[in-house]
Amino acid sequence: METIYGEFKQAIESVERGFLTRMEAMDKGYFAQTGEHLYEHISARIKTDESMRQKCKNRNLPETAYSALVELKDAIGVRIVCSFIDDIYEIIERIRQFENCRIIEEKDYIRHTKPNGYRSYHLILEMMGEFADVCGNRPGRFYVEVQLRTIVMDSWAALEHKMKYKKDIKNQEMIEAELKRCADELASCDLSMQTIRELIRNSD
Amino acid sequence: MMKILLAEDEKEMSRAVVAVLSANGFEVDAAYDGLEALSLAKQNAYDAMIFDIMMPGMDGLTAVRQLRETGDVTPVIFLTAKSELDDKVEGLDAGADDYLTKPFAMKELLARVRSMTRRKGEYLNKSITVGGVTLKTDVGELSAENAVRLAGKEVKLMEFFMRSPGKVFTTEEIFAHVWQDEPDQSPDIVWVYISYLRTKLRSIYADISIAGSEGESFFLSIDKVG
Repeated sequence: METIYGEFKQAIESVERGFLTRMEAMDKGYFAQTGEHLYEHISARIKTDESMRQKCKNRNLPETAYSALVELKDAIGVRIVCSFIDDIYEIIERIRQFENCRIIEEKDYIRHTKPNGYRSYHLILEMMGEFADVCGNRPGRFYVEVQLRTIVMDSWAALEHKMKYKKDIKNQEMIEAELKRCADELASCDLSMQTIRELIRNSD
Repeated sequence: MMKILLAEDEKEMSRAVVAVLSANGFEVDAAYDGLEALSLAKQNAYDAMIFDIMMPGMDGLTAVRQLRETGDVTPVIFLTAKSELDDKVEGLDAGADDYLTKPFAMKELLARVRSMTRRKGEYLNKSITVGGVTLKTDVGELSAENAVRLAGKEVKLMEFFMRSPGKVFTTEEIFAHVWQDEPDQSPDIVWVYISYLRTKLRSIYADISIAGSEGESFFLSIDKVG
């Protein structure tokens, strides 16, 4: 079976690579200026054919390239993991300055923590790519979902993700309350570490 | 239902007190000597305890002293037949919270029991709110628009400020109150912890803040909106 992305597979791979290249250049420039990195690591993935088709089904969308690339906006997903909370906001401001790139949606789950304790900053970008898109535009428009979080938020999210798919957890409510407590404690540590960095910088 | 331990060796008196307390909604365990009272107190959780001083086996003073040594902080009232000052002083020093001299009016005993159990409830009230910010001191949760969990000393420092909004404290005063159990620590630690709290208050979008500069005086300020 052909992938749901059809002839656009190559185009989205190119957009993904292009975004990573820009991020690496951003970090390199920041490092040259400050001697510090803006992020710890960055990873990107194209949503698998299987899970994209499943998502279309869940949303009652036809399994077409149009659904996958225009209706849904997370075919290209990027995760940027930072050491400090401030770095997340610094990166977002720099992405805002990107050419041929527009932020069309942003959700600050760091400020507006989800009830389960989840913290992250989500962006959806509309990027111009050299290839034509599914609507026939050339240069084409492609969407990239970006999640920014700290190392601490990332490890919490990994744990929560594992728990989410476990069935029949004993004392489920208690475990959920504990996960939320843990998220709030970790958030507190993130803030302490950021404060320590500021104290050190101010004493230089 | 509030549970009370009564240690009284005079059967008549004991029956009368049990009847009055029960009629007023308390559950009462009666002990007739100090040793029995001590063993009941060790087995059960009471909201208040009433001890006669003169009892066979073990007197009330010794029983309460031993209880306090085990870390039991339940409120205690002494009943004493003697009205001498020394008895009252000895009773309070043994760890009692209050005393009544026999003969006493049941009405007064009830009022004192209510007063003590109420005060205990207030001590257990571990939540302070200033402006739109709430601190739950028992679990360290600081919340406004968002919530974070504070570490031990952060809770103590935040509570210290929230108990006296607007009041100005020097770094030394803050250090003396919050770090009294860590005499080897340097007062410079105050600035580090105030910095933590400032970042955390900002992160929950608090409408209160700690004003002041490193090494100087600080106070909790309630920010005007708009």
